[in-house]
Amino acid sequence: MPRPSRRPPGSPPHWPRHAIMIVVSFLMLIPFYWVVKTSLTGENIYAYPPRIVPVDPHLFNYVDVWYMIPFARYLLNSVIVTAMAIAGSLLFNVAAGYALTKHFPGRRWVVMLLLSCMLIPFQATIIPAYLITSWLGVLDTWLGVALPLLSTIICIFVFKASFEAVPPSLIDAARVDGLSEWRIVTRILLPLSKSAIATNVILTFIWSWNAFLWPLIAIRTPEMQTLPLGLARFLSVMEDTTGALYAFVVLVLIPGLAIFLMAQKEFIRGLTSGATKG
Amino acid sequence: MTWRALTHRFVAVPLALVAVVVAWNVYIAFNDHGVIEGEVRDRAGAPVAGATVIFFERNFVYYEEKQRATTDAQGVYRFTDMKTHVGQLEARTADGRKSERRQLRLWFRSQDTEVPPLVVEPPRA
Repeated sequence: MPRPSRRPPGSPPHWPRHAIMIVVSFLMLIPFYWVVKTSLTGENIYAYPPRIVPVDPHLFNYVDVWYMIPFARYLLNSVIVTAMAIAGSLLFNVAAGYALTKHFPGRRWVVMLLLSCMLIPFQATIIPAYLITSWLGVLDTWLGVALPLLSTIICIFVFKASFEAVPPSLIDAARVDGLSEWRIVTRILLPLSKSAIATNVILTFIWSWNAFLWPLIAIRTPEMQTLPLGLARFLSVMEDTTGALYAFVVLVLIPGLAIFLMAQKEFIRGLTSGATKG
Repeated sequence: MTWRALTHRFVAVPLALVAVVVAWNVYIAFNDHGVIEGEVRDRAGAPVAGATVIFFERNFVYYEEKQRATTDAQGVYRFTDMKTHVGQLEARTADGRKSERRQLRLWFRSQDTEVPPLVVEPPRA
């Protein structure tokens, strides 16, 4: 028995759109493919004509990276800093997002202030950020590297939009039942805001994992360096290591890609719900 | 409920990664004695006794001699306690024959390895 088509009668077929999307996806993936291919072969990236199919691929460039530099230490630093940034950002962004759903004098001005602060690039505030971090005594520590990402305005608004989408009657009922504000957040709002949580986690992960400028300034000792700084160091001390360099890049990319692939549904849902309901 | 939670991708993927890392490290623990061994043969395939095999360890930009071993009556040589993962091997005999340098790349440092036979040939005129 033939499967009934889900396409409404009279509407154009899906395949041209899918074909275009496949071609575009293919084009977008070419740079990634080239990085992976070079990491497996170590061939000169300027070789002409370029080889599409890798010749004699192997994984030994990855072994070289593991032993040439303290990769495990960089990885540990990146993982700890990112975990601290994610945990801190969840706590502070949820609290700030919930506060902005309340009505209080000057709320509009607070929202305007936060929105206008988004226009200021981080590079412009890096000297005050450095002075504050130094004053707190956390320079060259994991906390000091994670500090600027402990609260981000975009994620505050993602949580605000998500919390505002919850029916007020539900929160009123919880309050009548005697729940405190904190328990309303943890028992009622957060279970209904999984997309916002996923968005916060993924965005903070990407920002923290790829951060270069702030760790470059806040870190002084080689033992505290994160993966992006390790990549810069790798470039500065090694020569003739095309394959190992690209293997390093792949190793830095893999955790981010894995997290995104695991949570892409929540990530996209969280961003779009923020866009339509905010 | 608990078992179902284990199948969630946010739990299953990290658990799978941890399992792979643990298994890999267990494998390394049983195979990292730093033993590199193999045979030296002539062009006819006969074992060459008394040949010197040199292991060159890779420095940043060049290969430097690290250790020497001599083949026994069966043409077998053996290096021990080699704490590297990349190098080159070359066999030389007292009468001037020598093998081509063989690139050696290992999956981890001190990996126990059996190298395919090195074939010694007379020097080219």
